[in-house]
Amino acid sequence: MIEVGAALVVWLGAALIVLADARRGLALGLAVVTIGFAVLAWERGQPIGAIALVVGGLTGALRGWTRGPATWGLMPPGSTPRLVLCVAAGLLSLWIAASVTTTPGAPLLFAVLVVLGLMAARVLSGGDKDVDLTAIACFALALASSPALASSIPTGPVPYIFGALIAAAVVVAPATLPQGSARAGKDGG
Amino acid sequence: MAAELLLAAAATLILAVVLAPPRVQRAGLLTRGLVGLAGMAAIAIAPTLDLILLILLVLAVLQAGLVSHRDFAARVRAPVLAIALLALGLAFERVEGPPLLVRFGAVGIVAGLVAAIGLLPYLHEFDPEESTVASPIPWIAFVGPLLAVAVLSRVKQVLPADVSDAFGAMLIGLGLLNVLWGTIAAWRTESDAAAWRYSFLSDWGLILCGFGLAIADGQGAALILLLSIVLGRLPLYLWSRQGVRDKTPTDRPINLLVAAALAGSAPFAGFAARVMLLRGATQIYWPLAVVLAAAMLLWLPASLRLGRSMGLPRGRQAIGVAIVLALSVFLGIYPQPLLALAG
Repeated sequence: MIEVGAALVVWLGAALIVLADARRGLALGLAVVTIGFAVLAWERGQPIGAIALVVGGLTGALRGWTRGPATWGLMPPGSTPRLVLCVAAGLLSLWIAASVTTTPGAPLLFAVLVVLGLMAARVLSGGDKDVDLTAIACFALALASSPALASSIPTGPVPYIFGALIAAAVVVAPATLPQGSARAGKDGG
Repeated sequence: MAAELLLAAAATLILAVVLAPPRVQRAGLLTRGLVGLAGMAAIAIAPTLDLILLILLVLAVLQAGLVSHRDFAARVRAPVLAIALLALGLAFERVEGPPLLVRFGAVGIVAGLVAAIGLLPYLHEFDPEESTVASPIPWIAFVGPLLAVAVLSRVKQVLPADVSDAFGAMLIGLGLLNVLWGTIAAWRTESDAAAWRYSFLSDWGLILCGFGLAIADGQGAALILLLSIVLGRLPLYLWSRQGVRDKTPTDRPINLLVAAALAGSAPFAGFAARVMLLRGATQIYWPLAVVLAAAMLLWLPASLRLGRSMGLPRGRQAIGVAIVLALSVFLGIYPQPLLALAG
């Protein structure tokens, strides 16, 4: 039951990121997704992985909370398609995880599918940089958790630690390399 | 294969930095190239596909963060779609379920790989005026070759044997699509810069066909073509940019030699790869060889156009073109050590 609850928490967090346009909503969404994935990792016998996810995800969420204007931006006008997307992605992922597959890790599969689907949709729909970076941080958390889907392969904490580092880094670090000219011909052609 | 491609990418970076025109900022080019190489090395040694996807995510964010005309969202879109498709495909391969789900997983992996490289039907947005490092060219010609080899070798570990045939068929289908589209578009498009970009697509079409054949000849042809992209087409593209900008098509012997190398004529590397590919296709299903041979004929007009668009190479550029052509001839005449090294 704890795993089922955690998977629903992950869906709630991903939905928050889809429905929010401002920093507080995005940061809360990232924090909720982090907690959900951390509980799933803990339940699968990965305490180090769970701790890594909490540290990485919440570091990113905290940075997001303190950056930019202090608004929530939840469900601005015109959000109905996004709301429908959240519900539809949740139902589709639930159907695949609970009905189509016979795998024992259905809650984790649901969480991974719903985050990958919703975050990809969020990035593809075009937003500002903060929205994309938050979605990418969630992506990293989902990718870090997905090796546990393979029941036959033992997964250590390495993917969790790596995913958590990325989740923190993409939000915390300035997402630019040393500045150069955008004009053609200055950096190799 | 990954080690050879990594070495080739490092050699191309050295060539690009050392033989760059004087106005190019070498330090910036070297820094960004080394970051890309570090990512590629990490991809090569990553034990699982999940770690490769995480590394890919880092590379995508770093590249999208570079200063460019296009905004962050536009540049991160394609890699994120690729990673999502690959991750979904991988998830479907891992769970227990009906065979249809496993086949959907294979579709996701192929679609994700093609999206990551930037091939049809997931062409990355291309701006001819954009700097090469920030453009989609590094995905298709620098990181892409090693990424494809790494993904395809790891996928074999998770893909059930009964899906492998369908997986190969998808690669061949997408390969043919890219061969035809790439050659025709490189010939007919108005912009020379876009023509260069489409020429990468057509090479990738042959590579996908080679991987899809899943026999030694096909794999060998794919490896040679991947190396000819990294060591040949990419540096030639870099050195052609000034000529493309100046719009000074030239018909000197060097332009014909470049066109021959790009078209895969004997004795350049592409010729050996094409022969191996046709031999492999004949072994598997001979009508495929007929289609491939017909498609290869389309290379000629596009390659002549690209060769002319280079203008007359001078100074460092001329030295670079000579080195690239010599390497291509060596690979074309004597590919055996390379193939033996790659197993």
